[in-house]
Amino acid sequence: MIFDVIHRSLKAPNRLVTVEELLGRAEGGRMPQVNAAKLTPEMARQACEVCPTAALAMAKPRDQELLCLDYGKCIGCGRCFEHAAFSPAERVAGCGGSRQELLRYFDCERGAEVEIRTSAPEACQEIFQLLGRALNIRELDAGSCNGCEAEIAALTNPYYDLERFGIHFVASPKHADMLLVTGPVTRNMAVAVKKTYEATPAPKLVVAVGACGCSGGIFAASHAVSGPLDKLLRVDAYIPGCPPTPAMLLTGILEVLRRTAKR
Amino acid sequence: MSATPQQQSIGWAVAEATRLLQAGARLVCEFASSDGGAIKVHYILDVPGEGYRVLEETVNGALQSITPVTPAAAWYEREIKDQYGIELTGHPDPRPLLLHENWPRGLHPMVADAQSVPWADEHYDFLKVEGEGVCEVAVGPVHAGIIEPGHFRFSVVGDNVLYLELRHFYTHKGTEKLFQGTPVAYGQMIAESVSGDNCFAHAVAYCQAIEAAHSVVAPKQAQLVRLIGLELERMISHIADVGALSNDVAFVLPSAYCSRIKEDLMQASARAVGTRFWKGIAVPGGVVRDIAPAAAEVLSNAVAQAASEFAKIANTILDRPSVQGRFEGAGVLPGSVVEDLAVVGPVARASGANRDVRRDHPYGAYGELPIHVPCLAYGDVLARARVRIEEVVVSARLLADALGWLSSGPIRADVPPAVAFEGWSAVESPRGELLYWVKGEGGKLQRCSIKSPSFQNWPALPHAVIGNVIADFPLINKSFNLSYSGSDR
Repeated sequence: MIFDVIHRSLKAPNRLVTVEELLGRAEGGRMPQVNAAKLTPEMARQACEVCPTAALAMAKPRDQELLCLDYGKCIGCGRCFEHAAFSPAERVAGCGGSRQELLRYFDCERGAEVEIRTSAPEACQEIFQLLGRALNIRELDAGSCNGCEAEIAALTNPYYDLERFGIHFVASPKHADMLLVTGPVTRNMAVAVKKTYEATPAPKLVVAVGACGCSGGIFAASHAVSGPLDKLLRVDAYIPGCPPTPAMLLTGILEVLRRTAKR
Repeated sequence: MSATPQQQSIGWAVAEATRLLQAGARLVCEFASSDGGAIKVHYILDVPGEGYRVLEETVNGALQSITPVTPAAAWYEREIKDQYGIELTGHPDPRPLLLHENWPRGLHPMVADAQSVPWADEHYDFLKVEGEGVCEVAVGPVHAGIIEPGHFRFSVVGDNVLYLELRHFYTHKGTEKLFQGTPVAYGQMIAESVSGDNCFAHAVAYCQAIEAAHSVVAPKQAQLVRLIGLELERMISHIADVGALSNDVAFVLPSAYCSRIKEDLMQASARAVGTRFWKGIAVPGGVVRDIAPAAAEVLSNAVAQAASEFAKIANTILDRPSVQGRFEGAGVLPGSVVEDLAVVGPVARASGANRDVRRDHPYGAYGELPIHVPCLAYGDVLARARVRIEEVVVSARLLADALGWLSSGPIRADVPPAVAFEGWSAVESPRGELLYWVKGEGGKLQRCSIKSPSFQNWPALPHAVIGNVIADFPLINKSFNLSYSGSDR
């Protein structure tokens, strides 16, 4: 019977998705993208009004009032999709970058994006060159709903197979190079989060995952929450999403590595 | 269902709940609510031959505990004490539950301003097991895998577990307080974040409760879309569980298979409805997205293929003598414990308790479908695995039927704001009976109480673990597959 399984698995089609197909993708994650040409000041105001976590808000980064889309706060509720300028994004840039890189600004009067950032996907070859060493990740749940965990666990399935990059998840923070932290950091987890960080040997990377990890998400205002994570620890990079799809997670992790190697 | 509050003499609800429980009713949940001044206690019971019954009364001074009548009430009453500051009389274990040492005693978040509370350094006593050769093993809150946090305190002699105490609520996020003041149309977003892998069940339970409270019925097509989402979520959850069980006994290949089948179903969901977890689909009054014929075909092909592949893999797992050796007889949960602790879901059905909300208290489109409920008596890891395997088959059949019945028509009914509303609704989530109780006025929520199947089932876990070797704990725990966040909220 066991030989049956092995035999079948050898015959089964290869499901591995290539890294070129994955980088930057965000399908199924329900993050919004903005068609700036369709944006009007009235529509922007209405979209800000329906946004439950103020991921859409009017802001004045310089002298002009702009619509700010903060992927780090977005829980993908889809409320803004009811307005013509907003639709589910096929790609989200900024995964694995700084908190600032998760912000987009739009000029509602002119109907154009301001200060466009691009994080062009790197060639596969370069990523392999940079990953000369194995990266050990310790996943740390700081009070997540378990959605991020489900997607992080999916990274090891035959579609995404994180191990092909030499990256794997380890059981102890003492073996880790990177802490991948989910959840808004509940009050009851705050001490455990600090202890886990201290137990991780330097040099170490801290990556905040999901809307909760980036900003506290829908739990930001709760009395039982001490976070978000960057209130407690120095965070190197952010991966938005609620939860981030495996493609967004993979993009984020590889982007962190790419930048680390350049330092 | 909407409640008709009855008012009688002080203590009548406790007395009535006690009478019904002694006559064979099952405790569904117990919680408190406050309208600014007076605090009310609510009991929801499943009365044989009658259905759900809600009892409520204003608490005058201390609350008479019903835990001596049904141990299933123990955690609910500890939670009421933490949240509302009501003293309990007759409770055998009134220690704090959700509030840890960092929270000042005497401050009760549901009835006080809980923002910017200073850090406290309170004390918590674990139960001490004493005797020659007794060792304590502390596990967690941070665990070795990609899993949620919680603390397990084992008292062992050699490899044998003498006692296990759970210390959870590390992921407590004050969710029920967050509902206070939230507009009705936004509540499902909080509900979706209670237990991430069962988020659609939570969203549907919330939406149905709101609909019941407003006497609104979701359109037929919306009910079918919900049924499809719920059954798909159950298939995904059970397939992942069975794969993880195989992984826990070092039979890794089927585990990789199951993770692939799960991913196939999630990708099919993303293609059909634009979300891997069915987030943002359910709203009070119906759903926001219909399943078009092309999307229905994507789903029905994916479901048929997943069901057939999973059936083969499940047989491969169960046929292995090495798997049987680990599954059989491990972590037996006796039927008597299931009744005492009012355990729900696949865990209860693997220990002989034949209950399933879909069949016993039909909701949505379930009323029109015959539901086969697999039930086994042995109560070990093998029984829990087999119940899940059979439930995948049942879900796949339900999905095939429901996908075929989809037609066109409205998918969302209007929910006009009510001056005052109150209602509840239960669904069978992959982990068991899940109930939302809501109350509010003018389109805003005042209270939303969640009966989570995991909160109900966690206290039963130690009874299945005691007497086993500690090395079997991960396997037994996995076979329960309880949500930490769902329980901690």
